[in-house]
Amino acid sequence: MKKYGNFNIFALIVGFSFLYIPIILLILFSFNESRLVTVWGGFSTKWYGELMNNQGIKDAAWVTFKVAFVSSTVATFLGTIAGLVMSRFGKFGGRTLFSGMIYAPMVMPEVILGLSILLTFITLSIDRGVLTVTLAHITFSMCYVSVIIQSRMSSYDESINEAALDLGCTPLRTFLLITFPIILPAIISGWLLSFTMSLDDLVIASFTSGPGSTTLPMKIYSMVRLGVTPEINAVSTILVGLVALGVVTASIIGKRQKQQTI
Amino acid sequence: MTDSSSTHPWQDPDQKPYIRIENVTKKFGDFTAIDNLSLDIYKSEFFSLLGPSGCGKTTLLRMLAGFENVTDGRILVDGEDMSDIPPHLRPINMMFQSYALFPHMTVEKNIAFGLKQDKLPDDVINQRVEEMLELVELTKFAKRKPNQLSGGQSQRVALARSLAKSPKLLLLDEPLGALDKRLREQTQFELMDIQEKLEVTFVIVTHDQEEAMTVSSRIGVMESGNLIQVATPTEIYEAPVNKDVADFIGDVNLLKGIYKGKDKEGTQLLSEDSNSIVYATQEVEAELEDTIWFAIRPEKLEISKRKPSNDINVLQGVIEDAEF
Ligand SMILES: Nc1ncnc2c1ncn2[C@@H]1O[C@H](COP(=O)(O)OP(=O)(O)OP(=O)(O)O)[C@@H](O)[C@H]1O
Ligand SMILES: [Mg+2]
Repeated sequence: MKKYGNFNIFALIVGFSFLYIPIILLILFSFNESRLVTVWGGFSTKWYGELMNNQGIKDAAWVTFKVAFVSSTVATFLGTIAGLVMSRFGKFGGRTLFSGMIYAPMVMPEVILGLSILLTFITLSIDRGVLTVTLAHITFSMCYVSVIIQSRMSSYDESINEAALDLGCTPLRTFLLITFPIILPAIISGWLLSFTMSLDDLVIASFTSGPGSTTLPMKIYSMVRLGVTPEINAVSTILVGLVALGVVTASIIGKRQKQQTI
Repeated sequence: MTDSSSTHPWQDPDQKPYIRIENVTKKFGDFTAIDNLSLDIYKSEFFSLLGPSGCGKTTLLRMLAGFENVTDGRILVDGEDMSDIPPHLRPINMMFQSYALFPHMTVEKNIAFGLKQDKLPDDVINQRVEEMLELVELTKFAKRKPNQLSGGQSQRVALARSLAKSPKLLLLDEPLGALDKRLREQTQFELMDIQEKLEVTFVIVTHDQEEAMTVSSRIGVMESGNLIQVATPTEIYEAPVNKDVADFIGDVNLLKGIYKGKDKEGTQLLSEDSNSIVYATQEVEAELEDTIWFAIRPEKLEISKRKPSNDINVLQGVIEDAEF
């Protein structure tokens, strides 16, 4: 049993505590009977019920869900195409530029990205609202999807496609019958990742949303400035649950896919 | 004449080749993988490509199947220029060296894939798949996925998949390498059977020269992008054009000697090792006193304790070691 040193175990515990104690506290206090955030007044689910009566939060949740669903779907579509182009078409003119442009939103500070997108909308005089938030989310989610697809394609055996062509399958059908089902798990992972990133995003949404398109993270942030309430804990707990579900599903799909290819 | 033209079409100038490879060159960047190669292959031939690793065998097959463009020259199949015909429209099936099985489909579905592309009715497909599974002894594994198969089993699925459509031209890239001896010999036999019954033209790459000797109508020996000899197995075995071919095909004793002309006993060579004259039935183009290589197949050597009655090609020696 001397496999892990005492120090390693200690470091592990401290590390995980830093990560998870705040989240556990948040979840715990969302079930607090008392209105005072730091005083435990017994178990209750009343704050969740309270949420149902809060029209502001419900609206924000609906906006967030719409934005996340549409933006992740479009981003997955575009990102998959970009990823396939990058990995399949070899060296085309302007490849480096194209790949740089795909990665840029990943490394650029969010504030800058948000600001530049905002400026674009203002220049084009597009009114800010649900549409603008969605477009902004597509922009940054797309590059994550394309990275996932590229990494999947790097271990993709091109001769599988050749075998299909050789057996009389047209290139389009080869994509639909062979490539697509094989990389589908990566595409789903990409969608889930985009979805959760859109759910969490505060910075870019703040820059690009307008009246009537407040997202849930924005709503929470503005409520916290007036003081933390158990309601915020409850809505945050729901968000944490959704994000965790997305991430876990994505990783399970990833593992399955690995087993299939090896 | 008629008889020999049906079994040896390459000797008949009136026969039209099924595959004509004309001065084909393939370059990968600066590297020349195939160097101005020409070759005719006739209908229903069982043509084997033999050669050391990296000499361009797979590249040649890939050009025939249409996965690589030819840099120069052209390829004709049944008189038709293949340059502009994409792989999926060529009447050719290929078995890949890496098998290239579809990982998300069962063995059954893999084999059925090509047939489905032809929109055949389901019962025809099922029956054909059944036959193929039996042929490669994989009936029990029909529902498995490729990642649950051994190397030899995967190879057999790949073989079955390429055979299923009974194409007119089959390219097999080391189709039997991962099989054990029994299965290999049996599959060789099946392939020859298929070739005879269905008149399929086979082009097969192999590292196993014994296999090439058994199954082929002709063998092409390749080296660094070129064919150095194309001939029937017997010709290649009996009369290799050079030392490399001799060394590559079968067990052989290679000896160096000096050409001393020829007389009624045959070609005279002065062997460097035994410092005596050896007579060969084979003729050679060389100047007197040229250094040449000669090869003696082990099965053509006789060893006896008593001195034989004739004097030609007799050497005295001591047995130093014996191996089986
Ligand atoms: N796509 C490619 N790009 C660059 N070089 C290549 C490419 N494909 C093959 N080659 C080179 O061409 C040469 C011939 O390769 P090929 O695969 O035809 O060899 P082979 O005779 O099939 O060998 P083996 O018996 O090992 O399968 C090799 O030197 C290889 O490195
Ligand atoms: Mg090869």
